[in-house]
Amino acid sequence: MIKVEGLYHSYLKDGNYAVKDVNFEVGEGEIFGFLGPSGAGKSTTQGILTGLLQLQKGNVSVAGYDIKNISRRMFNKIGMSFEQSNVYSKMTARENLAFYARLFDVETRDPMELIEMVGLKGKENIKTGEFSKGMKHRLTFARSMINNPTMWFLDEPTTGLDPAIAATIKDIIKKRNKDGVTVFLTTHNMFIADELCHRVGFIVDGEIKLIDSPKNLKLQYGEKLVEVEFAEKGKIRKDCFSTIIKEDKDNLNRIIAEKEILTMHTKEATLEEIFIKVTGRELA
Amino acid sequence: MKMWSSFKKELILASRGFYFYVELGFAIVILLVVLFAVPEDFSTTSTEYLFLDLPRQGQEAFKDVLLENDIDGKIEEVEIEAGGNIYTAQLMVSDEQEIYILDSEQAVRDLAYSERNLGAVVQLDEDNRLSYRYYLQGYESTRLKNLLSILFNESTLVLEERINNQEVKVLTAGFEPITDRENTIPPLVAFSGSLMGMFVMAAYIFLDKKEGVIEAYAVTPSSVWRYLLSKVFVLLLTTLVSGLIIVVPVMGFSINYGLLLLLLLATGFFSSALGLLIASFYDNMTKAFGVIYFLFFILMVPGIAYFIPGWDPFWVKIIPTYPMLQGFKEIILPKGDIIYPLLTSAGFLAGGLVVFALTNIRFKRTLRV
Repeated sequence: MIKVEGLYHSYLKDGNYAVKDVNFEVGEGEIFGFLGPSGAGKSTTQGILTGLLQLQKGNVSVAGYDIKNISRRMFNKIGMSFEQSNVYSKMTARENLAFYARLFDVETRDPMELIEMVGLKGKENIKTGEFSKGMKHRLTFARSMINNPTMWFLDEPTTGLDPAIAATIKDIIKKRNKDGVTVFLTTHNMFIADELCHRVGFIVDGEIKLIDSPKNLKLQYGEKLVEVEFAEKGKIRKDCFSTIIKEDKDNLNRIIAEKEILTMHTKEATLEEIFIKVTGRELA
Repeated sequence: MKMWSSFKKELILASRGFYFYVELGFAIVILLVVLFAVPEDFSTTSTEYLFLDLPRQGQEAFKDVLLENDIDGKIEEVEIEAGGNIYTAQLMVSDEQEIYILDSEQAVRDLAYSERNLGAVVQLDEDNRLSYRYYLQGYESTRLKNLLSILFNESTLVLEERINNQEVKVLTAGFEPITDRENTIPPLVAFSGSLMGMFVMAAYIFLDKKEGVIEAYAVTPSSVWRYLLSKVFVLLLTTLVSGLIIVVPVMGFSINYGLLLLLLLATGFFSSALGLLIASFYDNMTKAFGVIYFLFFILMVPGIAYFIPGWDPFWVKIIPTYPMLQGFKEIILPKGDIIYPLLTSAGFLAGGLVVFALTNIRFKRTLRV
């Protein structure tokens, strides 16, 4: 569904690349997570894939269309949910969706159905300027489904949403994917990536460091850890020890023998920890 | 369908926004000023203060000559309050002048200074001929000073002979003048109707940039040019309405409205395309304000030339608002040239298309995520 080969992009065209030699493929029906900290090159790559940025160097095809000679028809197959909500504030939720529906050449969905799906029923006739940030974000997400896209780009789809709404959004993504929709998910939230993605790609400083499934990454890079909470000199301390590394094992044994243990449980490595381990960078 | 949908959306946004009503409100304010503050014809009456330092007989003879042009043929005794003093004077009013005859040279000097008008003392020289001493303001041109120097010092017969020998050719026959009020219409329509479009268009784009909706539009099958053109159409509509608000009450139905609408559309298209082009280079109005202000200033220069017919240098003629103003003027003239507004409209349409094409390229290139 997406094929990227040797992608480079420089905003000032001066050899300082925001993305360099990026290569990856996303198969049909896959949820691919594109993970990295702010400024890593996620949005630049997504911008090129969606035609918002001009392709400078490399080969990119999306949904069977070559991005070099982009065809407007491609957008009938594509849906894009932006990180920053971008709806007309002087129009109501329903007017916003109805307007965008008329811009497509394919059969579109009923605006009210989408409004209801993202939990905005009853707010359809309110101007979006009066919406909260989260409500605008949900409407932007709903709009990205208006043309029933087969290739769905999602940029931080759950940012700023409360857990209940975020769970609804994740369910919608899972359901759409089950129906065969390919998803390109850009995020720095490793929990949502872990939960939703079939494969993830780590990007740092414009370069892809690694691509694999979360399960494989945990097997390859994850360690069996024990998290211990113990009392020491009247203070409560928390530490994490590998059950494989000898030094960690020795330290753990020493603490069990000498300190008062408050809590102790095994812990699986998170995607975030693996990311830090692989890239040497924090995600924030 | 997509075009209509975009246009409808822009119309909804405009009607719920601020700038739409600013443009229409501005047109109404201009109309009220033109109707109630601008006279049908501007008064060209000048005021002069004289002291006749002549024998009584000479004074009477001088006044008799002035009275020949007085509206009612009578001298009016008046008091003038100026600079905290009260001066008594004899007033004679003609179609072109208000002449105050004062009691002393000091009074002439005081009033010329405080009221910023011409003052003069008339006296007899050694040869018993009339001589004049003027009190000017200092900003008069050399031409006027020279004229005053010779006017009463050369023999009037010589002057008359010279004037009679001037060759005068009539280039246009059947010329019908318009009133001063009607004469203000072309610049007002050009600046409030057409050029305001440039500013308002840029404001619309910056609002959309702020909301990020251009990017959302860019990931639909609808082209960017449709988005831009739908905005232009809304601007053209407001240009037509605001133009007609100003023109119809002043001109009635005596002009060719087909030509007026054509020129309004063509100039509105050009200026709104210019507004789009400017907006494509900047993120917000604050950053673009300097360029818009500078462009506005340049485009208003032909307005100065319009009101000063003697000042018409070549470089002013190549500023687009020059033909715009002349085109509107030809339309409101009773026997105006039809070809000129048609050619001007064609020129602005062609120019607008070029600017619009450039803008389309710019917007395609400058969309950012």
